[in-house]
Amino acid sequence: MIRVVTDSVADIPPKLAEELAITIVPFYVRFDDEVYRDGVDLSTEEFYRKLTSNRRLPVSSTPSPGEIAEVYDRLAEETDEILSIHVSSKLTATYEVALQAQEQMKRRGKCRIELIDSQSGAMGEGLVVITAAREAQTGASLDRVADLARKAVLRSHVRMCFDTLEYLRKGGRIGRAQALLGSVLRVNPIVGVKDGEVHPFGRERSRAKAIDRLFDFVRSLPSVRELAVEHATTPDEAEVLADRLGVLFPRERIYISTVAPAVGVHVGPRVIAVSALEG
Amino acid sequence: MQGHSGRQGKSAVTYNGRELREMFAAATLWLEKSAPDINALNVFPVPDGDCGTNMLLTMRSTTEEAYRAPDSNASAVAQAMAKGALMGARGNSGVILSQIFRGLAQALEGRESFSGPDFAAALVKGAAAAHKALSHPVEGTILTVARDASIAAQMASAQSDSLISIMESAVSAARESVANTPALLPILRQAGVVDAGGQGLYVVLEGALQCLKGERQKMQHRRPQVVSSNMPVASKIPTSAFEEETPYGYCIEFLLRGHKALDRDRIRERLADKGQCLIVVGDEEMVHVHIHTFDPGKVLGYANSLGTLHQIKVQNMDDQFKDFAQMIEAEVPLTNIATVAVVSGEGLARVFQSLRVSAIVPGGQTMNPSTGELLEAVESVPQDKVIILPNNKNIIPAARQVSGLTRKKVKVVPTTTIPQGVAALLAFDYDADLRTNASMMKEAGSAVRTVEVTRAVRSANIGKVKIRRRQAMGFADGKLVSVGNRPDEVLWQALAGLDIERGQIVTLYYNWKARRREAEGMAERIRREYSGVEVEVIYGGQPHYHYIASVE
Repeated sequence: MIRVVTDSVADIPPKLAEELAITIVPFYVRFDDEVYRDGVDLSTEEFYRKLTSNRRLPVSSTPSPGEIAEVYDRLAEETDEILSIHVSSKLTATYEVALQAQEQMKRRGKCRIELIDSQSGAMGEGLVVITAAREAQTGASLDRVADLARKAVLRSHVRMCFDTLEYLRKGGRIGRAQALLGSVLRVNPIVGVKDGEVHPFGRERSRAKAIDRLFDFVRSLPSVRELAVEHATTPDEAEVLADRLGVLFPRERIYISTVAPAVGVHVGPRVIAVSALEG
Repeated sequence: MQGHSGRQGKSAVTYNGRELREMFAAATLWLEKSAPDINALNVFPVPDGDCGTNMLLTMRSTTEEAYRAPDSNASAVAQAMAKGALMGARGNSGVILSQIFRGLAQALEGRESFSGPDFAAALVKGAAAAHKALSHPVEGTILTVARDASIAAQMASAQSDSLISIMESAVSAARESVANTPALLPILRQAGVVDAGGQGLYVVLEGALQCLKGERQKMQHRRPQVVSSNMPVASKIPTSAFEEETPYGYCIEFLLRGHKALDRDRIRERLADKGQCLIVVGDEEMVHVHIHTFDPGKVLGYANSLGTLHQIKVQNMDDQFKDFAQMIEAEVPLTNIATVAVVSGEGLARVFQSLRVSAIVPGGQTMNPSTGELLEAVESVPQDKVIILPNNKNIIPAARQVSGLTRKKVKVVPTTTIPQGVAALLAFDYDADLRTNASMMKEAGSAVRTVEVTRAVRSANIGKVKIRRRQAMGFADGKLVSVGNRPDEVLWQALAGLDIERGQIVTLYYNWKARRREAEGMAERIRREYSGVEVEVIYGGQPHYHYIASVE
């Protein structure tokens, strides 16, 4: 069976990753000189506690080519085909780093590896990974799974409702969403990823209306194949939104996930998001 | 301490390793206070804003290792510091700093203790080592500052044996050198900053000096100052500042532990043509390599053949660069549709500007702008598609005439109040086309309820209501709903007619700064009366209306 690899930005819940045999390469999160591996040395809860209590902002960094190559190497003992799906190359260097790792493996003549730029992040990336992993479990070929994943990239959407864009701004990843910065009035920006880059989708005066916008977004899609709700620090809100989305899509098939520290560095606490894979 | 004993006395004050360690431990604490400021300066060679953090981490590792020195003689402590600096070096400036410590250690090798002139000579050696470690040393950076400071120290040591006066000369030369960095490095000049690494080194030297002077107590309550440039600085960075530097490729850093004795010169030679900003430092056992390259595979592959790699850091500098470039091009239009709004009052103008309106035409109730003024605003924006928000019933006709007078495509979203204009602007969609935006904005605008409180200019009877001159009148969506002597009471009554519900947001724009307290009181009253309603109070500065309020 081919194996699916991704990075911790995809926000795949650990249990699901285990179930679908997805291998996750952790990002690094650094608070001053304390370095943590995303989801390994630092739990999500602990991260957001530190994020809000630390005066200085943490930074995220990608795994090294060597680390990704190590993961490939280890998997190569069980399989000779790997599909590696990563966060948008326009947001971090992970895809490039994976290319290096792929190159190393090629030189050693081991194991065929296909790379995919998800053009997204968070569950926008995660849903592509999940789709690929499910197909892989049916015993499909690498070509077929990679093809399916590439098509999924074009149909995967993520929308996040923010409390503040300060984290996104300070992390230098704000892109065109800077249009939503600096309002004198209190607003809740809605930001997503489009063509691999951070993109402004709107703003609402209240958080409740901004969350309505997430619901409306899902409703506006002609058909939905996979759906996920994510939160940073507000699990109850995520459950309520998932329950509401239950009228549009089977509630039991909606993934609930938390925004990983490597993403949290850039989005801040209280983010709530939906990701949808169009059918 | 005999600070002015001159060169003749052989009994010059000397310092041991413990004192050396104390100097740099103090310097590290001093640098810690300044790291965020230094991060903010960071534009060269990669604008990633962590130069201060990198230098601090390097210094911490340096002093930590100093405490592990087996002996407290100067030589042992200096060697330990050099090792700590090498192991902990991060980023360009950190690596250069580690070279300075390496030079210091070489100069102090075998010494039980050292004098002022010894230390000056060690600084010179450190600056030279740092310079040598780089494949293409750039002036106007930490290298220049290190050299200027060390030369000043050396010159001072010809006059005096006192380490304090030697360090005073070094620190003051460092400060001048930092101030001069924009004159040497164009990108600093364009960014209007001094060199971050140079500033960091200045802070380190200053911290060490303060420790020598016994001012550690004083240091607790102060923080290092960022040196200001002695050049007139550009207020904005032109985009062309980046064109000369692109593209970047990858920044790679790693420690290489050799299978057998490592030859730094040979490694440097082999890597020299593989990239830029090459730094190879260390000893026969272990070297620290830093390089900017387009092909990380080649560099790592070569290094891998010599030994084992540790603490590998690969960063895509194009990403960092793009992010930075994006950060500063805030004024570039993000959409091909412009918005023009009619607004009066400085606070309201700020609200519209903060929502990224493209142009504001002053005007309102009694100051209706002409079609010509609106046309002028439409022509002034770079975009070819323009949406006008008149924000007043009487201005809509003039706005509608604009489209016939320009080649640009113009749509009027017929907002009749300021709150409608705000709601319409909030609904602006950066992806939608002109027609879709106009219709969405219209819908958003009409969903808002507006209350306005103004003063009667003369006595009148409106319907059954009798109004005396100068009384306050409250309008809800343009209809007179309340009259009274106090504007806040009139506002309260007008709001009461709107059936405000849980989850809604009330925004109060008040006209004079002096009214803030009254407005806050009103907000409190609304929150108490209607639970689950959010109230925001904003200074509007609008003429004629004591209050403009929106309910949405």
